[in-house]
Amino acid sequence: MESSILESIGVEIIGVMSPVSICMFLVVLLVYSLSSSNPFSPSSVDNSIRTAANLVYVENPSDSASQKLEGALLNALVFIILIAIVTFLLVLLYYYNFTNFLKNYMRFSAFFVLGTMGGSICLSVIQKFSIPVDSMTCFVLLFNFTIVGVLSVFSGGIPILMRQVYMVSLGIIVAAWFTKLPEWTTWVLLVALAVYDLVAVLAPGGPLKLLVELASSRDEELPALVYEARPTVARAGHGGASPLGLLVTGVSDSSSIELQAVSRDIVNRNENDGPRNSEYSAVPIGNFENEEAHSNRDEGERSPLVGNSREGQSSSSDSSQYSTLVLPTSQDRQFGGRESEIVDEEMSPLVEMIGLGDEREQARRGGVEIADRGIKLGLGDFVFYSVLVGRAAMYDLMTVYACYLAIISGLGCTLILLSVCRQALPALPISIALGVIFYFLTRLLMEPFIVGTATNLMMF
Amino acid sequence: MTVAAGIGYVLLALGPSLSLFVSVISKKPFLILTVLSSTLLWLISLIVLSAIWRGFLPLKTAAWWPYGILILTSVAFQEGLRLLFWKIYKRLEDILDAFADRVSKPRLFLTDKMQIALAGGLGHGVAHAVFFCLSLLTPAFGPATYFVDSCSQIPFFLISAMIAFAFVTIHTFSMVIAFNGYGEGNKVDQYIVPSAHLVAGMVTLVNLAPGGCTVGIPLLYFVAILTLIHAGKMVWRRLTENQSR
Repeated sequence: MESSILESIGVEIIGVMSPVSICMFLVVLLVYSLSSSNPFSPSSVDNSIRTAANLVYVENPSDSASQKLEGALLNALVFIILIAIVTFLLVLLYYYNFTNFLKNYMRFSAFFVLGTMGGSICLSVIQKFSIPVDSMTCFVLLFNFTIVGVLSVFSGGIPILMRQVYMVSLGIIVAAWFTKLPEWTTWVLLVALAVYDLVAVLAPGGPLKLLVELASSRDEELPALVYEARPTVARAGHGGASPLGLLVTGVSDSSSIELQAVSRDIVNRNENDGPRNSEYSAVPIGNFENEEAHSNRDEGERSPLVGNSREGQSSSSDSSQYSTLVLPTSQDRQFGGRESEIVDEEMSPLVEMIGLGDEREQARRGGVEIADRGIKLGLGDFVFYSVLVGRAAMYDLMTVYACYLAIISGLGCTLILLSVCRQALPALPISIALGVIFYFLTRLLMEPFIVGTATNLMMF
Repeated sequence: MTVAAGIGYVLLALGPSLSLFVSVISKKPFLILTVLSSTLLWLISLIVLSAIWRGFLPLKTAAWWPYGILILTSVAFQEGLRLLFWKIYKRLEDILDAFADRVSKPRLFLTDKMQIALAGGLGHGVAHAVFFCLSLLTPAFGPATYFVDSCSQIPFFLISAMIAFAFVTIHTFSMVIAFNGYGEGNKVDQYIVPSAHLVAGMVTLVNLAPGGCTVGIPLLYFVAILTLIHAGKMVWRRLTENQSR
């Protein structure tokens, strides 16, 4: 029996959603296990944290609501301004071709995040569960973990799976750190970031838009930390390539497959997130990412994991095979003769971390782009989705599920929009808006209802 | 030990759905998306319902009839939503078929359609279990348990997990029945689904009476088993008809 189209539709979407889900799940687990056991820790931890995200105002539980709101707004404002400045700085550096500097800076940031923030989280986990481990062993393990992480984030020759794992763990670490921010500041910050994201990616002259355009005009990778949803298993024929387009076409019902493929390629999303560590991840589509050098490196790495059984085009590299997934017409049109390069580029990781001067402030920029082969999501999206869910986890499990569903559906909407519009889209606004709305609806409306009926053992 | 108990409750409520998810749904990305969207739809329905009922809760009276009205409205609303879900699915099916033609793949098989229905139902069921049972389970991981007055024989968490499991079964398979009923225009199947849902909801009212859960839960499982048997028979009939053709 021939395989039905059900198996090929939505592969890309799931490819993005599953790491996001994993990231959120682990953050929730971390928040739960770390917060529930030490009754005294929340307050002490909160007080001890002093970051760019609460420079102006330190929330005190005894403050009045208006005080908290005012302080939170100020915090968010300062933080957004900082992020904007850093983003412009990044664009400037990139404009003047300080690419190596940027990359090394991101390497340093990755090292720092994994080593110190990851280390402190690791330490609290060890304390919490009383894991018997001596400091030397712990240090050596942490050091190895960090070094491999730094290498995997930037250089080729590392399996894509490893890179994805490190991307997710970076997201987890930063998000877990951010969940220690006080409550009001977190919510206001999330909303402010979503708005900033919207402006920076879509408004003319927005820093992320500039960055993406610059990168695409230079045919280079976007210098940012980006999660690539590269499939580890190749799908046969066009089926693999078309899922997202399919959904879209279904909606518009008019475009041909080639158009779908094209539109998919073009879409980019950039997002900025930056709490304390704001790291911008940009996700370029294949076009933007083309760098030949990278492509070469990536090929090697890619081939084993991707394991395409299909015949690609004549070129030997696996990457070319990916490009073939798209209908030939679309490839020719878009990529012209460069197919193999393009493919490579797309696959090459665009990971840069931009750290801000402060240890704690690193900006990650993430954008989401869809290439033939998959979608890329900025690491910042990972972080802030997880921050939202982690914050919800501090209230109740019910809000966690509601927020998770809202964020995932927002992500799905964004992905569909991505294939409709042909430009980089911010991934934060829809998801964060839905997540915040659902959080408060659940908390204010649904919980009393559910608790009231369920404790009477009535269900329907 | 408490963690083990908590995980046990979760698996009691969601274990079968989990295995269904792993064995059938997770291999087909589109089905995962269907599960997610139907879960979201159910969540939205719950939020709307709770918004409507927010003003009247908590009910002060010990009488059972306000709860009866509550369940009646909720079931009616959710069955209306099921119709909406079917309409959306109908459009989606056309789109999928059109797409399949375009990429010269076979159209949706009967089993595909049934799997989509199953995924939709599973989404509803999982949402039910998650919000009515799992979200209240947090204390179960701690070092204590909780009993309610009306059913003092077994812990509250265990009862709610059992009820949730029955409802997961009902929701999951009644969606398959409903979709087939709508597709074939079979009136019996169309009416059996809301009535099973309503009966199941009303049966939980028995739990209000002291010691009622010893009666209510077996009744609930009876409804669940009936739904299951009906769904199984119907799917079997469709499949054999389909093959003989």
